[in-house]
Amino acid sequence: MTSAPIGDKPIAVLGGTTVVELDPDAAASAKGEAEEQARAQRNLGWQLLWRALLDQRRALVFGVAIGITWTAAKVAVPQLTKAAIDRGIERNGPLLAWSLFIAGAGLATGLLTAGRRYLAFRESRWTETLLRERIFAHIQRLHVGYHDRTQTGQLMSRASSDLQQVQQFVVMIPITLSNVAQLFAVTLILVLTDWRLAIVALAPLPFINVASRRFSSRIHPAVLAVQNEQAQLASVVEESVSGVRVVKGLGTESVQFDKLRKEADDIRAVSLKAAGIRSRFLPAIDLLPSLGLIAVLGYGGHRVVNGDLSIGDLVAFNVYLTMLVWPLRNIGMMVALGQRAAAALVRVHEVLSTEPAVRSPKQPRSLPARHTSQPVGAVSFENVVFGYGDEHRVLNDLSVSIAPGESVAVVGATGSGKSTIVRLLLRFYDVDQGRITLDGIDLRKLDVHELRRNIGVVFEETFLFNDSVRNNIAFAKPDADLATVERAARLAGAHEFIMRLPEGYDTPIGERGFSLSGGQRQRVAIARAIVADPRVLVLDDATSAVDPSKEHEIRDAMRTVMEGRTTIVIAHRPGTIALADRIVLIDEGRVVAVGQHRELLDTSERYREVLAAWAVRDDTAAAEVPIAARTPVVGGE
Amino acid sequence: MFQMGGGVAPEDQLDKTQTRRVMARVIRMASPFRRTAFAALGCVVVTTSATLAAPVLVRHGIDSGIRARDLFELNLSVGFYLAITALAYIFGRMQYVFLNRTGESFLRELRLKVFASMQRQSLAYYDRNKAGVLVARMTADIETMGELIQWGLLQFLASGFLVVLAFAVLFSLSWQLTLVVLIVFPVIVVASVKFQRDSNSAYLTVRERVGQNLGTLQEGIAAVRVIQAYAQEDNQIERFEKSNRSLFASHVRSIRISTWYFGLVEFSGVIATSLVVGIGGWLVHEGVVSLGTVVAFILLLSSLFDPVQQLSQLYNGVQSAAAALHKLFAILDATPEVDEAPDALALPSRGNLKVDDVMFTYQGGSTPALDHVSLEVRDGERIALVGPTGAGKSTLAKLMARLYDPVMGVVSYGGVDLRRGTHKSLRQRIVVVPQEGFLFNGTIRDNVRLARIDATDAEVEAALDRLGVLAHFERLPEGLDTEVRERGTRLSAGERQLVALGRAALVDPAVLVLDEATSNLDPGTEAEVEAALERLMQGRTTIVVAHRLTTVQRADRIVVVNNAKITEVGTHGELMALGGHYSALARAWEKSHAG
Ligand SMILES: Nc1ncnc2c1ncn2[C@@H]1O[C@H](COP(=O)(O)OP(=O)(O)OP(=O)(O)O)[C@@H](O)[C@H]1O
Ligand SMILES: Nc1ncnc2c1ncn2[C@@H]1O[C@H](COP(=O)(O)OP(=O)(O)OP(=O)(O)O)[C@@H](O)[C@H]1O
Ligand SMILES: [Mg+2]
Ligand SMILES: [Mg+2]
Repeated sequence: MTSAPIGDKPIAVLGGTTVVELDPDAAASAKGEAEEQARAQRNLGWQLLWRALLDQRRALVFGVAIGITWTAAKVAVPQLTKAAIDRGIERNGPLLAWSLFIAGAGLATGLLTAGRRYLAFRESRWTETLLRERIFAHIQRLHVGYHDRTQTGQLMSRASSDLQQVQQFVVMIPITLSNVAQLFAVTLILVLTDWRLAIVALAPLPFINVASRRFSSRIHPAVLAVQNEQAQLASVVEESVSGVRVVKGLGTESVQFDKLRKEADDIRAVSLKAAGIRSRFLPAIDLLPSLGLIAVLGYGGHRVVNGDLSIGDLVAFNVYLTMLVWPLRNIGMMVALGQRAAAALVRVHEVLSTEPAVRSPKQPRSLPARHTSQPVGAVSFENVVFGYGDEHRVLNDLSVSIAPGESVAVVGATGSGKSTIVRLLLRFYDVDQGRITLDGIDLRKLDVHELRRNIGVVFEETFLFNDSVRNNIAFAKPDADLATVERAARLAGAHEFIMRLPEGYDTPIGERGFSLSGGQRQRVAIARAIVADPRVLVLDDATSAVDPSKEHEIRDAMRTVMEGRTTIVIAHRPGTIALADRIVLIDEGRVVAVGQHRELLDTSERYREVLAAWAVRDDTAAAEVPIAARTPVVGGE
Repeated sequence: MFQMGGGVAPEDQLDKTQTRRVMARVIRMASPFRRTAFAALGCVVVTTSATLAAPVLVRHGIDSGIRARDLFELNLSVGFYLAITALAYIFGRMQYVFLNRTGESFLRELRLKVFASMQRQSLAYYDRNKAGVLVARMTADIETMGELIQWGLLQFLASGFLVVLAFAVLFSLSWQLTLVVLIVFPVIVVASVKFQRDSNSAYLTVRERVGQNLGTLQEGIAAVRVIQAYAQEDNQIERFEKSNRSLFASHVRSIRISTWYFGLVEFSGVIATSLVVGIGGWLVHEGVVSLGTVVAFILLLSSLFDPVQQLSQLYNGVQSAAAALHKLFAILDATPEVDEAPDALALPSRGNLKVDDVMFTYQGGSTPALDHVSLEVRDGERIALVGPTGAGKSTLAKLMARLYDPVMGVVSYGGVDLRRGTHKSLRQRIVVVPQEGFLFNGTIRDNVRLARIDATDAEVEAALDRLGVLAHFERLPEGLDTEVRERGTRLSAGERQLVALGRAALVDPAVLVLDEATSNLDPGTEAEVEAALERLMQGRTTIVVAHRLTTVQRADRIVVVNNAKITEVGTHGELMALGGHYSALARAWEKSHAG
């Protein structure tokens, strides 16, 4: 590669191909565009806050008004002190009166401070509270694809730490405005008292402001880094504790310890970095006002000696200078807080402006009513193509139709897309091509809630809420009575063990409650689906953790539940598969065979492979011969 | 500027002797860092003294310089003022550096020690302590202390020092005016103490509700699929709103408490000024004090009131840090139930695994989980443990791998009691692979490698290949480098299990203990995996807790555990002929398989 001499158009020759490097103008404009975009984003973020604050304008304006009155009272105190020293002490004036004036001003500042603080804090918390509710509500409605890509922790920090940044900014609004007023008032008074001394005394103060601003913007990334390292350490601890059975069983304590040591070292390093930043700024910010005070004593002292200034003025100068310290720091901090809040608002806005990809149409069609003479619950997949966003196609031209009231078992190897079919039926994702219909209506033409209320799914991963057993079962119908809950529990084979729990149906379960075994959890989840009373019931490997001998009992009950509704069962155990009228075998993203168990055993080699139908017959063969080479042994069972 | 967030629940409050013990222990633990600690303390003394010297110098400047019209004295005061400011700056900087170095090194030490101690504990400890609590110890509790070190400790020291010194200075300037200040001072102290109490309880409520709210938030996000599947978004939103509003209410309560307090503090400050001006002015007229003294008092007032305020807030922080330390020390002091003997020796590399008249009861369990159980597994033998749910199969397996120690009786390997073997040799000989796959953060490869940390990439791949599942994972767009995401959500249920099984294929111990999970795999894949595991078991002692007929039939001997006892031992054929519990179980399994 040769680079062209300066002045020429920059050209780089790469293996015979001439590559013209980006036109600098174009690059600049691209950069400008990015900046433009960032600015637009920030604007949108601010607009979000602005609209929120507009709703609270009464209290906020009131708070600001109180703040400014407070400033007036506060500024008056040194004036009164000065007058008291000059007229009261030096010239033997009415001391008591001056003292009372000062006390009166004190009372006013006390009351006003209280009012301002109260309003500022309450309003900022209110803004935070409402925004948090908006975020939560929005997250609840965002499509599953979004949640796949976004970690729980990320969304948590949108609704917690980001909003905290916003709150910290909002709480500063009234005090900052009164600080600005104070700044002007004090400067004016000082200049009017003695402009020469004022210039000398005030000279170091702008640096406080600059330093605070710099400090805030430097310390912020450092603090974030510390938090980030702390979070990393937390996740090491978390997985070491939750996975302790794996760690102990394999004896890999040292691996986890090394991970932890690394994180502990990192925390120490970034914390010390943050401390370094603090050490560079904070003592300086603390001591800069002293320079002003020294100037007042030195230069001001000379002027008093020369008779240009009274001692009272000198003291007032001192007091005023100290009075400026906080406002200057606050304003400096406010600028940095504003930047931080802006960044947080952009992130919050990003979440709030993400449109749910799966939405109800404007004019949804409604499903045909149930309990008519016509049975309902027809499900049909028509040439469905689907992938999770990467190039890997999980379903590839899959077609199957299920009649109302029919029960179908979906069978396929691990990772073949069985659970994906369920997710599509719930419209967690929209298909890439083809369509899915329920009772003849394209899912995309139905109200999403109506659709989902009519489909009850027991997921392969059982999620139970931190709530009582009863509320967990009644999840889909929170106002269901105990009899309904019990009936569902009985059908799911859960009633017996629930009655043996310490508080029966009121026992708290979930992560923070009583821990149930995998099989017990699954049975609670089945009961939950039964309470929902859907027209289509889907059981995704819903009894995998239930003891085979117990499963037998559930199976009988399931027949009752399945009556009169369409059922889709994903299962591996022949006993469970046999519940279904028909079996659909999927492989490589499409349906490869449909039929009855026995029929498929006879006709489909893939079916025999997936169900390992030879395994019972000939174990040694299964153990030694690779799958492809196995000769399936078929026989009646 | 900084508000220390701290608080301590009444039940966590330490009494005097506990506090003293915690302090003594902290000092002992921090002794390696005493150099920097003393340096930090020295810096605090210097900077605080400098802060207090300033008003004294101003007084000198006014009285001996300005009023006496002595410019030399005035310039001298200014010069000294400049000098102490420079001094305060230099020592102020060093103070941060030393203090943080001490504090962070201490915290690092504490983190490592506590985690190491947690890891030494046996599974019984984890049964007793909820995961959330243990995580909180290592995170929130230690972070509270970090915060205290960064901000609080420094201010706590400086403030305490400042109050004492300020009074000394005031008193030396004029005891009469000091008495005047003392009229207001008690009001501040009483208000601060009350504020400290009220804000502590308000803070605890806020903290509790923040926790609750975060819990609800987290659940709402983690369970979003279930919520949407059952169209329960609106109910969840309402539920969250309720917890969110109750958090807001607790915030408002704590705001109210601080509102009156800060109002009162500001009011008292000005009142003190007014008193000093009034009474001080009168004393000047009487010729008792100088005007400079009055001015110095006015200037010193603020260095008196601020620290008291800070002290009251910091008090909460210090208290909660002490409570946190107390809990952390409890972890450090917990003696592991399953510990290495001082004279531990390496276990023989091969031998029989023998369970001799073992009794075991879980803590809190009323009945024994194993009741006088004896079993000898010969070197290289394959054993299947079967029995009904809750019979004690997993318990027996765990004792054979010394995840728990028996209450009575002995488990030995090659004639050596497992309790006399080193941990290291124990895990080299006996490995337990729980098959319900707990996936750690990282890629598929990392997760398999966990079983043998020095395994090369090729070995990891070979292990998966032996299971016959390598091709499947390689078909994923990022192959074995696919990040499994939180708890493995990126993978299908069966794929997660395959990763966990990959671990079993990678380890190479003399004794392999497999606690078979009820499976999420399709029988085809399962048969393939089982065949691979079968090959894996060749030449080594294997103990499988079995839930499937196929696994059982491959065993050399079948051990039936029923109601905490071993009731039948023998081959499939023998036990079927016996017509006992096993034959019933086998028939039930067969039925489930046939449908
Ligand atoms: N959220 C996701 N993002 C990306 N890929 C995914 C996601 N969920 C599943 N996959 C991939 O899609 C394929 C099909 O997954 P699916 O969960 O539908 O399998 P399955 O047939 O239910 O398998 P199993 O029997 O193991 O439950 C798998 O290869 C899996 O790795
Ligand atoms: N960590 C524990 N703490 C207290 N009790 C326990 C613990 N683990 C198991 N138990 C109890 O000990 C008994 C034996 O349990 P174990 O897990 O050994 O049964 P199992 O035969 O493996 O059953 P399964 O087939 O369901 O896995 C049961 O009554 C169980 O409730
Ligand atoms: Mg699945
Ligand atoms: Mg078990």
